[in-house]
Amino acid sequence: MKIKKDKFKDALASIAKEAKVFLPMKGVYASEYRVWDGAGEPFFERNTALPPKELLFPRSERMYEYDLNAGTVTEAAPDEKIVIAGIRPCDVRSVEHLDKVFLESEYTDVYYRARRENLTMIAYGCATPAPTCFCDSMDVVPTDAPGADVVMNDAGNSYVLTVNTPKGEHIRDLISSFLSEGKADDVPAVSCSLKVEKPDDLHKQLIARFDDPMWETLSDACLGCGCCSYICPTCYCFDIGRENRGKTGTAFRCWDSCMFSDYSRMAGGHNPRPTKKERLRNRYLHKLAYFPERYGTSLCVGCGRCIDKCPARLDITNVPDIIQGSESNG
Amino acid sequence: MNDNLAKMREAAKRALESGDVGYVIGWGATKFPDKTSPLFMRKPEDAERLVWNEYAIPGIAKYLLDDLYPDKPIGVFVRGCDSRAINRMMKDNRIKRENLRLLGIPCDGKDDERCTICRNRNPLVYDELLWDEAPTPEPKDRYFRANAVEAMSADGRYAYWSEVFDQCIRCYACRNICPACNCKECYVDMTATGFQGKQHSRSDNLIFGVTRAFHVGDRCIECGECERVCPMGLPIMGQTQKILKDINELVGDYESGVDAESENYLGVFDLDDKDEFM
Repeated sequence: MKIKKDKFKDALASIAKEAKVFLPMKGVYASEYRVWDGAGEPFFERNTALPPKELLFPRSERMYEYDLNAGTVTEAAPDEKIVIAGIRPCDVRSVEHLDKVFLESEYTDVYYRARRENLTMIAYGCATPAPTCFCDSMDVVPTDAPGADVVMNDAGNSYVLTVNTPKGEHIRDLISSFLSEGKADDVPAVSCSLKVEKPDDLHKQLIARFDDPMWETLSDACLGCGCCSYICPTCYCFDIGRENRGKTGTAFRCWDSCMFSDYSRMAGGHNPRPTKKERLRNRYLHKLAYFPERYGTSLCVGCGRCIDKCPARLDITNVPDIIQGSESNG
Repeated sequence: MNDNLAKMREAAKRALESGDVGYVIGWGATKFPDKTSPLFMRKPEDAERLVWNEYAIPGIAKYLLDDLYPDKPIGVFVRGCDSRAINRMMKDNRIKRENLRLLGIPCDGKDDERCTICRNRNPLVYDELLWDEAPTPEPKDRYFRANAVEAMSADGRYAYWSEVFDQCIRCYACRNICPACNCKECYVDMTATGFQGKQHSRSDNLIFGVTRAFHVGDRCIECGECERVCPMGLPIMGQTQKILKDINELVGDYESGVDAESENYLGVFDLDDKDEFM
């Protein structure tokens, strides 16, 4: 199937009649997946500054409200239908990873599940990887997203669509009047310029080197901010808190980062991760060792956001490089 | 390799070989030609990894706070902005001059918008100067962000800052790079106090914005690192620029970090203060 590019917005308008449509768009200050207002242009040239996790795992989310006078507790039940049109394959993979944590492990997260069931993903096959992109080294195919409901690829003056799931069939039905016949077999292959070589047992080698002096060197320039974790599509740590107003209040959860000192600080003040060395090691090991150990796949999807935005230009690909003994920049 | 880089490598190598310093902080290459990363040189041969080009942008003075009681002095390359950062932290009693070995490098301006308002390319404090000073070109409008905000109506300003801080993800990169943000413990990390909620909301984001602005306040050295590191590209220099502009207009010429002795304007208690505006 194909859709002419000049019909793309008409198709979005058809979808917008029954769901909130999000598009990768430029903002005043930074790009992100934003609610489509019916007119805005998609930003497909490179990945957005903010990942899509916000739509499934908001940076701040009300869990329940309580009223002790009335003796009631009201739990939040997100039920909004959301369609992301133009999510990149690396970001689709990140959603698959979040699914593993919030849906497929022993505990199912009800808030995440509610949002996830209401989410449809239309992937946009990436044609323009940035210099910091390395998804094809992390088992993502830049032009394809098997985890998405629909995949669309640029084919000159039109997009070629491939439907993967029943949710995708529904999208196809919604926009059928804009579709024409066309095959997806002419998508040119795309390759990232940044390549990462990693041994199959990377996670084992990293854990074996838990006390290695390399963590000191890797974290020298770290500033200890939370930039990398907040712009990472797969960093999912959160904190839970309450805001009381007399006898009523709200419980919320919000993003947290293992790069912050208070993340691992215990009651009484002891901190088992006292410096940036331990904190950065934990973040890298979570991506490249602990998650693979538990779920059989790297948590890093190679979107390159942390490399691009780190104030100190730290580069997660230096970690597998050191293990491979091919560290390029020392 | 340019002459200046050769001088820097030589100076770092000499310092490390002599054993006078524990390590030297400069800039190293990354996998990307347009990015450099702060480099910590511990052995003389590490000096070969030093780079000096238009992308040697990141501020490196703040790392001195990671090592307050070094066994040996720490070597640091200092451009104008780094020297002001060091003066700032010395004046704030956070670092000691005897723990520093400052290798002065007059800067040639970098590939960054913030460098166009630079008033001090030449280092203001150093132990040795690696090459000759050159005059700093006439800076662009020192208060370019503040002027833009001042031109707005009160409602316009509220809308402007709300939009800015709605985008803030509170990663605290601006705080962590800032040499004036040098408190032993930041109020943000004192989570039990309730000063600032941990949830991301307009009110808590604005609390952070306004608190950062006033805590930095008159101590801002105008390096612009807060904006460079912001992953959301937020124009937060406007806040401290406004404070500096007011000080300069109300009480006369003032710059922070040009030396380690001058008093601050806001952080001073004086019984003879006329308090004209109270």
